[in-house]
Order: sequence, then structure tokens, then C-alpha cells
Amino acid sequence: MRRLGELEQKVMDTLWEAPEQSMSGREVADRLPDRAYTTVLTVLERLRRKEFVRRTTQGRVHYFQAADSREAYVAEIMIDAMGNAGNRNQVLARFAESVTPEEAQLLSRALQAAAETRDRS
Amino acid sequence: MTLLVTAALLAGLSVSLLGPAASRLAGARWLERAPRAAVFLWQCVGLAALISGIGAGCALAVTRYHAGFVGGTRQLIEGLFSAHPLQGLGLYDALGLTLAADLAIVLCAVLGVVTMRTVRLRARHRKLLDLVSYKAPEYPGTEFLADRRAVAYCLPGLHPRIVLSDGTRELLESDELWAVIHHERGHAHELHGLVMFPMLGLRNALGWIPYARYAPTCMALLLEMAADDFSSRRTGRYPLARALVEMSSAGWTPSCALGLTGSGVLSRVSRLASEHPTSRSVAAVAMGLGMGLLFVPLCAAALA
Repeated sequence: MRRLGELEQKVMDTLWEAPEQSMSGREVADRLPDRAYTTVLTVLERLRRKEFVRRTTQGRVHYFQAADSREAYVAEIMIDAMGNAGNRNQVLARFAESVTPEEAQLLSRALQAAAETRDRS
Repeated sequence: MTLLVTAALLAGLSVSLLGPAASRLAGARWLERAPRAAVFLWQCVGLAALISGIGAGCALAVTRYHAGFVGGTRQLIEGLFSAHPLQGLGLYDALGLTLAADLAIVLCAVLGVVTMRTVRLRARHRKLLDLVSYKAPEYPGTEFLADRRAVAYCLPGLHPRIVLSDGTRELLESDELWAVIHHERGHAHELHGLVMFPMLGLRNALGWIPYARYAPTCMALLLEMAADDFSSRRTGRYPLARALVEMSSAGWTPSCALGLTGSGVLSRVSRLASEHPTSRSVAAVAMGLGMGLLFVPLCAAALA
């Protein structure tokens, strides 16, 4: 399962790093020499079903391109990740929600005081 | 007559658990010294209230059989499968059945809708991670995101994912970073995502009930503390406390201050900095209280 995920990432990387707007399945496979052409095509189709890849057809050749940039996907992940606990979309729980600068000062003072008492004892 | 009394008692128990008891529990800071047991207590309060509520409805509905709670319920179920299920239904019976059914239906609907939405959002998040996250061999079981902002989280699920951003890696010292990773491993290991699942939509759907208003927030904070303890046992309290301060101070922008108190981080840090963050006796009290609560409605039903 995870291995397929890794291959998906490789295919997406190829599309993102390509200088051309879109690539044929053959062109993608050529840049992934350790993968069989049919495997690459299967992965491209999977990605298309997930709507991460768009396909256009010219003549009899299918051309693939990434539906969105890598940065856009990272940004989408970050929106989930930065949402705080009161958010209505509780996709995940962040390690630490943000505090105001005043609270931050309060925090580091409390921590310092605790560290000092610990060092004394 | 005794069944009517039982119904009234159970209804009263349910209401007082969901109302005043939940409010008291939300203010009980001493429970933070045993976060896992406290979460269990919150779960027991909710479950006991649910059992009592449904039990009260059923007790009301089976008074007419004069066969006690257990016998009456059996007859009621047999009646439901017979040719004329609602024949001879009186006012009490109808009221009771409606109450019991409504409680069950509202809860299932809320849970169902929220579960589906959350599962969908998490699946999308997982797919996105598959595409753009990268691994670092020195941090096994962790993936990284190319973003300068400092975040760290655990995406709950069947295979939980622990994700840190490049910003976090730049911000924290090595021991602090490991403390964060162990905190997230704590979430994954103790299945905190599963614990929170029934709580997810509760506040939005039934926020006028104190339990639904307080339980999700309180339990989320308690689970953070449980993960803090998991991490403290492995990498010590101070790296974790430092990481908490660094991470929460780094992320602040005026735009994300909306509806944000930061009190969670404040109490977590002061807890980690305190002399005795955890207490076995508090844990024992909370566990005992929780199990006791579950027994009350069951006994009431059995005795009636």
C-alpha cells in the first residue's frame, strides 16, 4: 500500500519537475527507468481518478499534467494542520496551538522559574 | 408504580449527569494529574447518562406489562415483532418509547454525519501526504513537510501518521524534537483519535447540553496531557515543555487568534513544570468514580 504511495509520489514529482506543461505516459515512464511502462500508466490512471492528475488527448496520445502545484497541496495540508481545536473541521490535533505574544512571555517565565527550582534542588 | 419511580430516577440521573455533573467535571483541575483516568471518567459520565436516558424511556414504556423492567422489556420487544405492534399503547408507553427512540436516533444521526465527514477529510489529508511528504531516515515513523511554519501533528486513523514541518525541525533542538515525536507517538499508540471520535460533532450539534459543550474540549486537552505523559516517560518533561513553549510562541499571527485562548498550552506547560504532574491516587479515584457511575443505571434497571 505504502509502496504504491511512494510510486505515486515519484510520478507526481516527475510531472511537477517537468519543463513541459504536460507529458505522455511514455515520457513519464522514460524518466522513471526502474519502473515498467504499464505500471507507470496504472499509477497515472489512479492519480487521475483521485483528481491529482488531469488527462488530455491529442490525436491518439494521452497527455498528463498535475492538477495543482506541489505548493498548493502542502498549503492545503497546512490549513488542516493550523486549524485550532475549536475548529469545526477536526481533521487532526496539533501538538501546540498558538498563543499570543503576552501568553508566550508568561510561558517562558513559568518554565524558567521551574527550571531554576529544579536546578536548586 | 415502582417502574414509574425507576423511570423518574433514571431520567433525573441522566439530566444531572449531562448538566451539573458535566459542568463540575469541566472545572475539576485536579483530574489533570491523571489525564487518562479523567478521560475514562468523562466517557463513563456520557455513557451512564445515555444508558439512564434510554433506560428511563424504556421503563416508562413497559409499566403496562406489570412484569418489572427486564420482563416488561422482553414483552415489549416481542410485541414489536407481532402483527399489531402498537396496539394498546397508552400515553406513558408512547411517551417513553418516543423518548428512548429519539435519544438513540439523534445520537446515531449526529455521530453518523460527523463520522462520515471526518473520515472523508482525513482520507483526503492522507492522500495529500502521500504525494508531498518526505521521510528522514534519522526519524523513523515520521514524515516531513516542506513548509517554514512550525507544526507537528498526528493524523488519526487505522495507520496514524506523524507529521512535522521543516519549520519545526529548524525551530527545535534535537531533544525537543524527539519529545514532540514521542508526544505524537503517544497519540497514535493510545488510539486518541478513536477516543475523540464520538465527541467530534457533539458540541456543534447539541451545544446547549453542558456535557456536549464541555466534554469534547476537556477530553481533547486531557488527551494532550496523556500524550505529554507518554513523551515525558521517554524523553523527560523539560525538553517537552520547552518544545511546547517554542512551538506555541512561533505560530502566532493576528489572523489565527480568532476564538483562540491558548489556555491549553498554558495549563500543559504549568503542569509539566509542576512538582508532581501525575498522581496514582487521583487516577484510582477517577476510575472508581467512572465505574461506579456505570453501575447505577444498570442496578436500577435490574432491581425494578
